[in-house]
Amino acid sequence: MLISNKHLSLIKDEILSSKSQRAGTYFNISFSEREIVLTFAEPITLDNSEYYGIDALIKLINDKIEILTCDFSNIKHYDSYLILLINNLKELSKSKRLAINLIGVTPKMAKFIELFGKEQSAEINNIISTGFWENYFSHIGQLTLTGLTDVKLFIEFLGEIISKFFSLFIHPGKMRWKEFPFHLTKSGVNAVPIVFLIVFLIGMISGYQGAMQLRQVGADIYIADLIGISITRELAPLMTAILVAGRSGSAFAAELGTMKVSDEIDALKSMGFDHIHFLILPRIIAVMFAMPFLVMLANFAGILGGMLAALSTLELTMVGYLNEMQTALSFGDVFSGLIKSIVFGFLVSSIGCFRGLQVHGGAESVGKYTTAAVVTGVLTIIVADAIFTLIFQSLGI
Amino acid sequence: MMKKPIIEVKDVCVKYSENTILENITFDVYEGEILVIVGGSGCGKSVLLKQITGLEMPTSGDVKIHGENLTNANDEIKRKIQKKFGILFQSSGLFASMTLAENIALLLESFTDLTEDEISDIIDIKLSAVGLDGYRNYLPSEISGGMKKRAALARALALDPDILFFDEPSSGLDPVTAASLDNLIKNLNESLGMTMVVVSHDLASIGNIAHRVILLDKEAKGIIATGTAEEMKRNRENEKVYNFFNRIAN
Repeated sequence: MLISNKHLSLIKDEILSSKSQRAGTYFNISFSEREIVLTFAEPITLDNSEYYGIDALIKLINDKIEILTCDFSNIKHYDSYLILLINNLKELSKSKRLAINLIGVTPKMAKFIELFGKEQSAEINNIISTGFWENYFSHIGQLTLTGLTDVKLFIEFLGEIISKFFSLFIHPGKMRWKEFPFHLTKSGVNAVPIVFLIVFLIGMISGYQGAMQLRQVGADIYIADLIGISITRELAPLMTAILVAGRSGSAFAAELGTMKVSDEIDALKSMGFDHIHFLILPRIIAVMFAMPFLVMLANFAGILGGMLAALSTLELTMVGYLNEMQTALSFGDVFSGLIKSIVFGFLVSSIGCFRGLQVHGGAESVGKYTTAAVVTGVLTIIVADAIFTLIFQSLGI
Repeated sequence: MMKKPIIEVKDVCVKYSENTILENITFDVYEGEILVIVGGSGCGKSVLLKQITGLEMPTSGDVKIHGENLTNANDEIKRKIQKKFGILFQSSGLFASMTLAENIALLLESFTDLTEDEISDIIDIKLSAVGLDGYRNYLPSEISGGMKKRAALARALALDPDILFFDEPSSGLDPVTAASLDNLIKNLNESLGMTMVVVSHDLASIGNIAHRVILLDKEAKGIIATGTAEEMKRNRENEKVYNFFNRIAN
């Protein structure tokens, strides 16, 4: 085959990156009728990768070319880019049906190629070759299966907790009561400032929003009804539960997860202790006990926030606001919020503990399940709140 | 006279989902014996230990300790059996929020009628036995890895069990600390006649402490050889056994 020197030079320029003035020195190309010989001259390293592009080499290969020879005899320095380059050349030779010869490979280089240049397993190749949609639907399927398995396991876990909770009425000494005040302080007392602040602000925001609308229709006084009912029935229990999910639910998941990773839970079981009585129930009971108190405080904070907004934007007096609040609020409003708070507390804490016990492997898993504890906790609270609303409505509470 | 088996493992199979980890594992552990379960990474050593100690239930088969079947026991009986043995976990398993004294006291407070003073004395005795005098008020995070293992051993000894299980006792320890832990294990065995089951792949440690060794294999999903450490090292009939005990890559 005849190729003019000018043509060869043009193709070489195309092969070698134009970015570098030194490009021409990285490898040489020589031809015979049936063979292309690439003689590498410079270090084949990741730093030099841009000078070893072989895409344009394809243009040099016509039907008569049968052999691609790569000469490495001048190469003293190389790293994992050598493996990549050889793989690319092998792929090229395979697609063009060429025989490939690697020459000038030192024993040291051969050992390096053997160590790092293993073919990918069929399994990996299969994963890569799977189509986008197949992957997409398989991922959705896997998520659905994981979700359903989690629901099943959580129901089993709830069953175990509930049965062990009721067994406490017969054997109260089974639970580690020593832990109860500690968790009550951590989940309840320590949550007071943040619960107060958040629900106070929520009350204030609702107050301002409500006041603007009510003023237009001259129904200023009904701001007390709006704030009172929305805070006691919905916002205080819901916001408190979300905050407790963020604080305590995540903390339970992280604590129990870490204990699981460091074999503490296995150690506990092996010593003849029941981890549900020892670790889980003190946490759940503490949160269930703390929640109504936190919600009472949140009710106060929300009503106070709403009042400040109302007094500053509407022509209302504090006495008028509180009198209307007294008339508007029924026992059922406050009571339904408190009942909800106990159930929310139970759900948030048991989900936190459940996620913590799901941890396996290492620290990475602790983070994963801690996040899952908060997400699942918040989602479950909102679903439970919707169910409560339907139940209370049908019962006329 | 043949010694009586204290632990009887019969036809134990373990499957996780569809994945078979162990098949038909059968062996006995005799009174006063140090049995070491060895094998390459992922062969199911720790899984087997969890089945023997009742932390997990095998898919099929039986595990008896002192003649009582642990596999079909209810929670109450299982806990009663578990109180008869101690376990030293790979990562020690000490309760991070408790001091060493509280870790040991937990068992004594829960399962004995000892007074506070008596419990305190026993804590000192146990800590002293493992060379940790003066460390009773330290948290696990305040001591080294080797000391944690010793403290966990002191806790495992709290109720004077007659069986001790060890999961990779020398993992993560320097050779000198590992050797001193081996000596401690040997001394406890010799002085108290305790039966011990040790999971390990530390050949030096195995040579030091083992009365008998069983070798698990990942491909066989079971035991491929039993004998003393010396016998295993000389076993040229089975290439896998010979390679494992002479550190030869496959």
